[in-house]
Amino acid sequence: MEQAIEVKGVSKAFGESTAIKSIGFNVKKGEIFGLLGPSGSGKTTTIKILTGELEASAGQVQVLGQHPAEFGSSDFKSRIGLLSDNSALYERLTVYDNLKLFCRLYDVPLQRIDEILQEVNLQDARKQTVSKLSKGMKQRVLLAKALIHKPDLVFLDEPTSALDPQNAAHIHLGLQKLNDAGTTIFLTTHNMEEAALLCDRVAFLHLGEFQELDSPEALRYKYSTHAFHVETFSGERLVIDNGPASADRIRELVAAGEVKAMHTDNPTLGQIFLKVTGKELEQ
Amino acid sequence: MSTRRISAIFEKDLKDLLKNPMLLIPILIPVILALTFDRVTRTPEFPPAAAYIIIGGLFAVVTSGTILSMMSEEKEKKTLRGLIGSPASLLDIVIGKSMVTGIATAASLIVSALIVGIGTFLNVKTLAALILLFLFFLLLGVSMALFSKSTAATTGLLMPFSFLFGFTPMIGALNIVSEDGIAGRALGQFPVMQALELHQGGSWTSLGVMAVWTAGAALIAYLCFRKAMKDG
Repeated sequence: MEQAIEVKGVSKAFGESTAIKSIGFNVKKGEIFGLLGPSGSGKTTTIKILTGELEASAGQVQVLGQHPAEFGSSDFKSRIGLLSDNSALYERLTVYDNLKLFCRLYDVPLQRIDEILQEVNLQDARKQTVSKLSKGMKQRVLLAKALIHKPDLVFLDEPTSALDPQNAAHIHLGLQKLNDAGTTIFLTTHNMEEAALLCDRVAFLHLGEFQELDSPEALRYKYSTHAFHVETFSGERLVIDNGPASADRIRELVAAGEVKAMHTDNPTLGQIFLKVTGKELEQ
Repeated sequence: MSTRRISAIFEKDLKDLLKNPMLLIPILIPVILALTFDRVTRTPEFPPAAAYIIIGGLFAVVTSGTILSMMSEEKEKKTLRGLIGSPASLLDIVIGKSMVTGIATAASLIVSALIVGIGTFLNVKTLAALILLFLFFLLLGVSMALFSKSTAATTGLLMPFSFLFGFTPMIGALNIVSEDGIAGRALGQFPVMQALELHQGGSWTSLGVMAVWTAGAALIAYLCFRKAMKDG
């Protein structure tokens, strides 16, 4: 499959301190790739390198087949969308006027504004002045701005960090639809449930280095003890090894009708991150 | 260069400006200055040195001041990053953002010129000098906005630069520096002084000197823009 992003041995140093230490990964076209890590782990630096905002100190980068020297071209900019902590809106203008500006900068028909406002659940706010919007609403306008030109590749740095669960769920649905339409999504998040729900693959970034890179399912399997956790009607909680020797014990419990619940040990991405790095993901 | 993108930026700036009318106040300063000088001089013909104090001040306060306020706000509030990240080129952004400043400058200049006597300005040499002055002060404002860290810091930069480049004829009139000394001779080469010389019958060389100043300002603005593209 064609690659949307190719990164080989990329490092980034700011004076004495190294933010990124020789990371390498590929993101396939049409994939949702999640970069997980606590604050200061190097997520934003990675996005800035991939969007041409920062130059890597070492290593090679290719995004949509372009080298960093070509990242400034109008063609490249038309093909990527970006929502980061550097994204901002014109506070004195309305939601519609903000999006109208970007429609015209990206040569997009103005009809797209109503479409994208519906996608981010803001169709009733089109005439509202941005300065009067809540933080969550502003975040959704920023997301609309990042997606208004239907980019081939979109970088989303903590896209749902300021949203309530209902609006976050609406955005997740929108991102899945966008991805179904062929858009590649590069996502950074603290939210492990969001990553597990959306991402085809995730990478754990800690102190500028990749600790793990795989699909959420593969990581859960890798870090699972594979034991069965059984809860009985008498309130007992049993941990039974997953192996031939345990078959009789499980059969006995099932036959006696004592099993209230039974599941395999499936660590969350957050638990895996803690196990791998010794750090909480949301720190 | 895309006219569609330039007009999009212009339209946005115009809407933004109309919701922030404080930015329009500097347009009145040269007009008030022209009215005051007109009352004070009481001569049939307005003295050219006084006219160029008003014109220099106008370009410094209205041209540099307006573009400086608009660009530094874009930089501080990080909206400039959105424009830079869009397919709009550097030229689209600079031209688009200069159009509102151009209209403000033209309005203030026409009214001020009508007060001091517009007839003396209506010749090719003077008009060319005014265009170069506009470009020089515009690029100076862009550079200061992109160079400074915050909107508050731009005020600190605007004051000395306005005085030095905008009110250069006043420095001579107030005898702050000796006209024959090194500083005086250097000030004589400044853009507004060259425009004044041209107005008083100077050669085309003055336009050349002004063009060099404008090219220098363009280079500095370009370097500041490159830096802003990396800094966000």
